[in-house]
Amino acid sequence: MLTVQHVDTYIRRRPIVKDITFTIAPGSIVGLIGPNGAGKTTLMKTILGLTKFSGTIQVAQAPVTETDHRALQHVGALIEHPAIYPFLTGLQNLELYSQDAADRQQLITALEMGDYIRQKAKGYSLGMTQKLGIAIAFLNQPQLIILDEPMNGLDVEATIGVRQLIQRYAAQGTAFLISSHILSELQRVMTHVILINHGQLIVDQPLQQFNQLHQQNYQFRTTAPQQTRQLLEAQQIAFTTHQPYFSVRRETIFALQDLLATHHIYLEELAPVEHNLEQTVVTILAQQREAAHES
Amino acid sequence: MRRSLRQEFYKLRHRKIVWLAPIILLVLMVMTGYAMGYNESKLSMATGYDAPDWIMLILVVVGATTFSMEFQNHAILTLLYKAPAKLDVYLAKSIVILGYNVFLHGVAILWTVLLCQTSLIRPVAWSTVYLYHQPLWENLLKTMAVDVVTTTLIISLIFLLSCLINNNAVVISVSLLVVFMGQFVSSNLLTANQGVRLLRWNPFNMTNLTREYYNYTTYYATSHLQNSQLLLGTLLYTGLFIVSGYLIFRKKRF
Repeated sequence: MLTVQHVDTYIRRRPIVKDITFTIAPGSIVGLIGPNGAGKTTLMKTILGLTKFSGTIQVAQAPVTETDHRALQHVGALIEHPAIYPFLTGLQNLELYSQDAADRQQLITALEMGDYIRQKAKGYSLGMTQKLGIAIAFLNQPQLIILDEPMNGLDVEATIGVRQLIQRYAAQGTAFLISSHILSELQRVMTHVILINHGQLIVDQPLQQFNQLHQQNYQFRTTAPQQTRQLLEAQQIAFTTHQPYFSVRRETIFALQDLLATHHIYLEELAPVEHNLEQTVVTILAQQREAAHES
Repeated sequence: MRRSLRQEFYKLRHRKIVWLAPIILLVLMVMTGYAMGYNESKLSMATGYDAPDWIMLILVVVGATTFSMEFQNHAILTLLYKAPAKLDVYLAKSIVILGYNVFLHGVAILWTVLLCQTSLIRPVAWSTVYLYHQPLWENLLKTMAVDVVTTTLIISLIFLLSCLINNNAVVISVSLLVVFMGQFVSSNLLTANQGVRLLRWNPFNMTNLTREYYNYTTYYATSHLQNSQLLLGTLLYTGLFIVSGYLIFRKKRF
């Protein structure tokens, strides 16, 4: 659906996006993660042909350039702020871009905007404006939707509503590129992770693979905790313990299982230590900083 | 392009100022009628009760907000990525405001005809010969047609300024300065008596086009250009401002 190849974006001769390459398949929900100033919004704007760039961007095999946006006909986006005209009602704001009244009405219902959709948008709250901006991005059954911080200003119910809407559209084949600072929320919907820092792509993986790779520790419990401790110390396997649990690094778990079996000690429980996305991202960024410092 | 045009027309027809403007124009024309006096019937009819000046004022406000509302409402990004090219957005805005310009002049003609039926001025037949040995009705139509050209120059300047400056108030202020102070700046330049042959082609001088059309003797002395020369200059500057505005818009970072 979306192909980004070796894309560089310069703003006032300063490189903001550096040699980024990735693809998004139909139906994927890609979470674009990175610290402030990493280049997330610039990358999104670049995909929408709003900045000068080098490299190749294609939407459904059609090229996007700064001067030719024809390939973006079936793309919806919410970038930075919702594009709302205060002198129009919510409905009129939708009518401005909408090609299908039924589709428009469906979105109004799905986002529960019926009560105020005929009021002038100048009286809308932050959350109402945000929902309207999201509805504009979802208009006309797009093949690709780009959302920059979509959950800004939304209450819990609205957040759940938007999440369900994203999942429904993805199930129908719409691809998503979503950036959000609320990683816990992003984690609930995304199927793929893209992590960028200083304009460079650091991680581009399916969420499942990302979780497996970055779950460093495993926690286990055995039938003989005292003997297990002695064995780990004797074999110099690094561990921490919160009795009756032991925690070891992921790469040691196969050797550990062999070791325990030879001593007729049996596992009662073995599971990866759940890291949330935030912790994982912070760890990766810290490792990257460390590596950069060393080099 | 069709979609961009539809969007621009949709926005224009939902703006309150757009529909209030004809009423404001009527009020201002009535005031002008009173100010000009009962016996200035021919001048009032030929100039549409000075509608050109009032239309200029309205267009400065409407034109200046055409671009700035996009920046202020954060709509420019959506507008740009949804349009096939930046040129479509720029052209659609230009065409729509030009259409509104023509509409306002049509309204001004209508108001003039209606006001002539009132006791505001001494009754004179529309077939009465007045400027350029032509009947009054022809004078009025030609004044309005010439003014469409003058106001298009101002619109092109407003668009150029709007692409340079995001702030609506600044664009309106600078545009009003150009419209209402421009001719004084130009006449001051030309009274210096040096380089008049070149200086008379300055863009400020072109704002005299309509006034010179209906008051040739007085304004020729100020502009040092004939009607046809002013018309040519106005068209050339309009083209220059529109192209420059687009080039700036194309390069602008959003």
